[in-house]
Amino acid sequence: MSQSQIAVDLILRKITEQTEKAKSRVQKASEVLLSALNTDIATTPFEYVYEEDRVRLKHYRPSKKEHKVPLLLIYALINRETMLDLQPDRSVVQTFLNHGMEVYKIDWGYPTKKDQYVSIDDHVNWYIDNIVDFIRERHNLPKINIMGICMGGAFSVMYSALHPEKVKNLVTTVTPTNFDTDKGLLHIWMRNSRAFQLGDTYRNMPGDLMNLGFLLLNPARLILDKYVGFFENMDDKDFVENFVRMEKWIFDSPDVPAATFHQFITDCYQKNLLIQSKLELNGKRVDLKNITMPVLNIYGQFDHLVPPEACNLLTKHVGSRDTEDICLKTGHIGIYVSSKCQALFAPKVAKWLKEREGDEPKAEPADTKTDAKTAQSKGVSARKSAAPAGITASSAAAAPPAGGLAAKTGETGRGKAVSAKSRRSGTKKKTAAERSTDAGKKKSTGKKASVRKS
Amino acid sequence: MNEEKKNETNAETVFADWMKSVTDFWKDMAKPEGGIAEMFGMSSSRKSRTVRQAQKNLETGSKIFQSLFSSVSNPEHMETLFKGADTLPDFLSSLTRQTWDGIFDLQRKWMERLATIGQETKAYSFEDIDQETFRTLREIYEKEFRKFLHIPSLGLNRFQQERVNNLIDRYTLFQTALSELLYMFYVPLEKTAAVMQEEIEQMAEKGELFADFKDYYNMWIKVLEGHYMTLLKSPEYTQVMDNAIEANLQYVKAREEVMYDLLQKLPVPTNRDMDDLYKDFYLLKKKVRELARKVERDEQQKSGETL
Repeated sequence: MSQSQIAVDLILRKITEQTEKAKSRVQKASEVLLSALNTDIATTPFEYVYEEDRVRLKHYRPSKKEHKVPLLLIYALINRETMLDLQPDRSVVQTFLNHGMEVYKIDWGYPTKKDQYVSIDDHVNWYIDNIVDFIRERHNLPKINIMGICMGGAFSVMYSALHPEKVKNLVTTVTPTNFDTDKGLLHIWMRNSRAFQLGDTYRNMPGDLMNLGFLLLNPARLILDKYVGFFENMDDKDFVENFVRMEKWIFDSPDVPAATFHQFITDCYQKNLLIQSKLELNGKRVDLKNITMPVLNIYGQFDHLVPPEACNLLTKHVGSRDTEDICLKTGHIGIYVSSKCQALFAPKVAKWLKEREGDEPKAEPADTKTDAKTAQSKGVSARKSAAPAGITASSAAAAPPAGGLAAKTGETGRGKAVSAKSRRSGTKKKTAAERSTDAGKKKSTGKKASVRKS
Repeated sequence: MNEEKKNETNAETVFADWMKSVTDFWKDMAKPEGGIAEMFGMSSSRKSRTVRQAQKNLETGSKIFQSLFSSVSNPEHMETLFKGADTLPDFLSSLTRQTWDGIFDLQRKWMERLATIGQETKAYSFEDIDQETFRTLREIYEKEFRKFLHIPSLGLNRFQQERVNNLIDRYTLFQTALSELLYMFYVPLEKTAAVMQEEIEQMAEKGELFADFKDYYNMWIKVLEGHYMTLLKSPEYTQVMDNAIEANLQYVKAREEVMYDLLQKLPVPTNRDMDDLYKDFYLLKKKVRELARKVERDEQQKSGETL
């Protein structure tokens, strides 16, 4: 064995240096940790404008409105939607507002045991449908834009396939639709285990248990290295604040209703029904060919939860001809929070939606489920020909009734009903879109709330 | 042997004396004249029909009791009874023997395992994970201990007893499955340490050792991550994880059953009660929604026809 040449003096000098550094860091860190830290998340001002059971709708107003059609953000049931507004300089919501978009965001709340029987159908065909109707009515628009995130993206896909007449453009981000892949560990585990029964036994799938599962996807990095990184930077106030914000978001995990969890794992992860257009919600088949509106599909190249293979088949299976796939060089969360993607992701979505804004079709049958080509041509012709109607819709949208104010004065329901009557009296025969709007309004049994976030 | 015989005879005598005093007591209590009725200051002439009936029942019961205990106190039967009692030490001895057999077996297998320590550990391969220890542990439990928890329960509380036994059983199985899962997470650490040792040896031979410890850490975490990635994708891990999930599910269910027994006695709703209530509530709400939508559609149609 050859004699090793170890630079002992160099190593000892390094140890001394590092000990000094660590000492200084700990001193500084104690100052940082004991000082007042700004670790608030979701600080962009909003108001709750709709509420039903545990589900609430957040409304964000831009200072200058440049988009006619509002955007509804549908987040996953796993973790909280606050991730889209994690910190002021890395906020997807704020970027949308800066682009003049009016944004609505579903806050799914915290399911309790009472919600254990709430299914995917209830989420898609009840809560989301009611919220979409509420926004359509509020803005006097037949269609709105929808952007889904992860599991919320899968819900958006299901909704758009079942209610294409209400969706103008669909944006899916890190959305799993093809579950038949071994690229992601989640896919392997969900297919080969009885994890779906956890929700049934615990009544809801416990958020903490899911979080533990996510940590175990990469224990070396997520349980060890992450905190080593924190230790090395804990003398940096900005770093600590951002780190704590992320920790707050990561471990704020609501439970997932048992019925929804069970169906999502068995029908999607195990049977892969969604991409095959075989998934059924309350007896209605989710046919992806019904998705005839423009589709923008964005996903992360290094996403360990929803790998590209789980996302990139969607656009090939939908009925729309106007589709675009974008694969960003980032991970599952990086799309929304990394500073690099802040400059790419949200501005791209805003631009893409703006390009497809056009004019609102006025007379599209609400209940029609047309095939792809028909719907596509309808949409195009309507955009070209119905400029005045579009402008009307836009002007109506420019000053939506302040839900919060109405609720405060106790005139929410009556005020809506009155405006609906006045519209009716001014028209001899209502268009299908209007009928649909009315239906949505009547259907909205949810309450409006006026909780103003300071 | 004589001493044993003597002790046995003494026990029989004591038992026979006690039995006699008991039967005499109940004989007095059940006398047609006096007895319980007189204890409460009632003269025999004023005995109501109910009291007479009660006395008669007591008398019958007393006679049955006397005949039963007289039969038991019969020397021959007493001998049988005490013979039965003599079998208890045999039973205990058998139980202890089986338990120790299991423990010795486990110890032997652990010793065998210890002997394999130091053998080469293959990096990035998890097919050779030693799950034998856990399997042995589980087998010993299932063969030697578990059967005691499955001894048929008797009497009024038999179901409750069964549920408690089931909880102990499921808890043990869950702990075993969890230990195995946790062991799985330890294996990459062991393998990474071996890889690091090799790497550092090679680097030392070449004189290319890192001066900064952070570099060693980076190398270690990278190797560890690689090991975890390989492990977590492996069918062996998935199987162990699935076993742990299943064991956890069974344990939680068993715990709920016992909790249900406990809570049932208290003036609080149980989980089962609440589940039923939530389900009814959910179904009713759903029905109302469907009906509301139907009414709205009908109203729309009507108003459409009117317009």
